[in-house]
Amino acid sequence: MPNAQSTKHNEPAKKRNYRPLVSTKALQKTMGRYYAITNYHRYWGKPLRRPLAWVTSGAPVELLRAFKIHSAYPEQYAAIYSARQATVSLCEVAETAGYSQDLCSYARSNIGGVLRPDLAPLGGMPKPDLLVACNNICGTVLKWYEVLARHFNVPLLVLDTPFLTGELTPQAKEYVLEQLNAMAVDLEKITGRKLNQQSLAEQMRRSAEITSLWKETRQYCQASPSPLNAPDLFIHMAPIVVLRGSQEGINYYRKLEAEVKERVKLGQGAVNNERIRLVWDNIAIWPQLFSFYKLFAEKGACFVTDTYSGGWAADHAPGTPMESLAATYTEVFLNRSPEYRANQLINLIRDYKANGFVMHSNRSCKPYSLVQEVIRRKVMRETGVPGLMIEADMADPRAYAEEPVRNRVQAFLETFDDLT
Amino acid sequence: MQTYFVGVDIGSLTVKVVLINNHLEIIGQMKTRAGYSGRDVANRLKEQLLIESGLKEQDVCATVATGYGRVTFPADREVSEITCQAKGIHHLFPTARTVIDIGGQDSKVIKLLSNGKVADFAMNDKCAAGTGRFLEVMASALEVEWQEIGEIVSSSKNPTQISSFCTVFAESEVISQVSAGTPKSDILAGVCDSVASRVASMTRKTGIEPDIVFTGGVAHNQGVVNALAKQLGYPLLVSREPVITAALGAALLAHEMNKV
Repeated sequence: MPNAQSTKHNEPAKKRNYRPLVSTKALQKTMGRYYAITNYHRYWGKPLRRPLAWVTSGAPVELLRAFKIHSAYPEQYAAIYSARQATVSLCEVAETAGYSQDLCSYARSNIGGVLRPDLAPLGGMPKPDLLVACNNICGTVLKWYEVLARHFNVPLLVLDTPFLTGELTPQAKEYVLEQLNAMAVDLEKITGRKLNQQSLAEQMRRSAEITSLWKETRQYCQASPSPLNAPDLFIHMAPIVVLRGSQEGINYYRKLEAEVKERVKLGQGAVNNERIRLVWDNIAIWPQLFSFYKLFAEKGACFVTDTYSGGWAADHAPGTPMESLAATYTEVFLNRSPEYRANQLINLIRDYKANGFVMHSNRSCKPYSLVQEVIRRKVMRETGVPGLMIEADMADPRAYAEEPVRNRVQAFLETFDDLT
Repeated sequence: MQTYFVGVDIGSLTVKVVLINNHLEIIGQMKTRAGYSGRDVANRLKEQLLIESGLKEQDVCATVATGYGRVTFPADREVSEITCQAKGIHHLFPTARTVIDIGGQDSKVIKLLSNGKVADFAMNDKCAAGTGRFLEVMASALEVEWQEIGEIVSSSKNPTQISSFCTVFAESEVISQVSAGTPKSDILAGVCDSVASRVASMTRKTGIEPDIVFTGGVAHNQGVVNALAKQLGYPLLVSREPVITAALGAALLAHEMNKV
C-alpha cells in the first residue's frame, strides 16, 4: 500500500512483463494529497479542532471520522519506509534502543522513525494527539501503542476484539459494542464534539460504498487473463486503507474499477501470456515488491487475488452503525480460526480458477504466519493444487535471502511444466 | 545412432557432471570441489568426461544445468535441483515417494507422486544446521575426516545430546564436550542425531511416505543414515552414488528435452 510514487525507482527500465495501470496517476494524486494534508496537520488541526490519531489498520475509523478526527496509519507509513529502502536504518535505531529483532518490523521501523524522524521518508509521521489500537489484527499493537502513548504522552484508546474460534457470539458482539460506546464517550471528551449519529451513518454508507467498489474491482480478476496482478492490488489498496469513508476514496475506486472493467472487456491481462494463476497469502514483501513478483510474471504466472488486500473488501455487518462496526471489526479474517482461513483460501482458489497458491511466511506477522503450514496442507489436500511457502519479511530486507527464494520459486513453477 | 546428453550440477561444495546415452545408460560421471568458480570447474569436468569417453562436444545433443551455479553455466536449459533430483531418483527408484537430499548448504525433502512428479517440497532456510556444511564444521572441530564419521559413530555407546540448532553454537557445544573428555564417537553420534532430527522434522512436514530415498553427499555418511532411519521409523534407500543423482536427473531432462 505505499504511495505508487515511492516505488517508481524500483521499476525495471527494460521490457515490462506486465501492463501498467493508467489509474496510477490518479492514485498518486489522491495519495499525494492525503500525505500533504497529514504532514501539514500541525497548521490546520488546532484551528479546525480536528485532532490527529495514529490508528492500527483494523481500527474503526468510521467512528473517528464522525468526530472529525484525521487518521494516520503507522503500518502504512512503515510500508512506505520499506518500499523506499529506509527500514533497515530505522529498525537499527529501534534495536539500538533495545527493541528485539524478533519484534514486528512495522513496529520497529515506526519506533525508529519516532526516535529519528530525520532518517524516515516523508520526514516521519506528524505527531499524534491520540492513539487508537484494535487488536483484531494482532497482539503486538497493544504494547507498541503503549510505547507510543508513553513517548508522546497522549491518550490511548484500545478496542479489544475477542478471537473467534467459530462464529461471532452475541456475547462477544455485546462486549465490543460496549467498548465502542465507551470509546465514543472518550472521543467526545477528547474532541469536545458530540457524537452525531447521522454523520456516523453517512461515514458507514461511504465506507460500505468504497468497500463494494474494491470488492467488485477484485472480482474482475476472476476473468482469464486476470486484469490485475498482486503488486497492482498492493499499490492500489492504499486509498481503501487510509481514505475509507471518504468521497475522495470513492472517486478514486470508481476510476480504477472502470479501467479494470475495460481491461476485461478487451481481454488484456496484467501479466503477458498468463498461463499460471496463483493466490497470494500474507502481507506483501514491500522491499522486493517488483523483483520478487517479477520472478513469477516473467514465467507467465499471475497472482489473481490475495487474502491480504482482500481484507479490506469484506462486507459490512448489518445492524445500527455501532452494531455493524462491532461485528465487522471483530470478524476480520486475522481474528479467526485456521479453519476459517483455510476455507477462505479454498474459496478463492475455486472462484478465481487458480492453479496454485503462494504463502509468505512473514517473520514479522505472527498471527498471519504461525498457522500457515496447517492451512497450506489442508488447502492442498482439499483443492489438489500445489502451495509454496516463502520465508521473508514484509518490511525488513535482512530477512530475505534472494537465492533460496529464487530456487523455491523456480522449483515451484517447474511443477506446472510437466518436466518430471 | 547413439546420442549423448549431459547433466551438470554446480552445488555449493561440489560440482558433478553426468554423461548418458539415448538408452539412458550412464556413460561416465565426475565430481570435484566447486572452489571459487563452479562454472569453470564444471566446464573442465565436462571436457574431461567427453575426452575419457572418446566423444566430442558436437556428440552431445543437449546439456541441462542445475544447482546453485546453474544460471552461470552455458547450458541449453537450467532447471532447479528439486525437479532434477526428483527426475534422477524416480529413474533409479521408481517406487520412491519421499526423497531426502542433504547437500553442502541445504537440505530438502521432496514428495513424489507415483509418476515421479513433484507433489510438494520443503527446504531449510537461512541456516546451515542439518546440512553437509554442519557436519564438516563439526568434523573439523573434532579433527576427523568426514568420510570417517560413519565408522567412528558405529562404536558410540552413549551419544551426547547436541541441543543447539545453530552451527556456530553447536560447534562450541562440541568443543566443551571435547574438554569434558567425552569420547569422540559419542560426540559424533550426537552430531549425526542432531542433523537427523532436524531433517526428520522437515520430512514430517511434507508427510512421510515410503519408499524413502536418501541422497546427496551426506547419504555417504552411515552415521546420519542410521540416525535418520531410526527417527523416521523406515529403512532408507541409498543409491551407490548419492552425490550425482541431481546431475543424473539433469542429464535425463536433457534427453527428454531433445525428444520434444
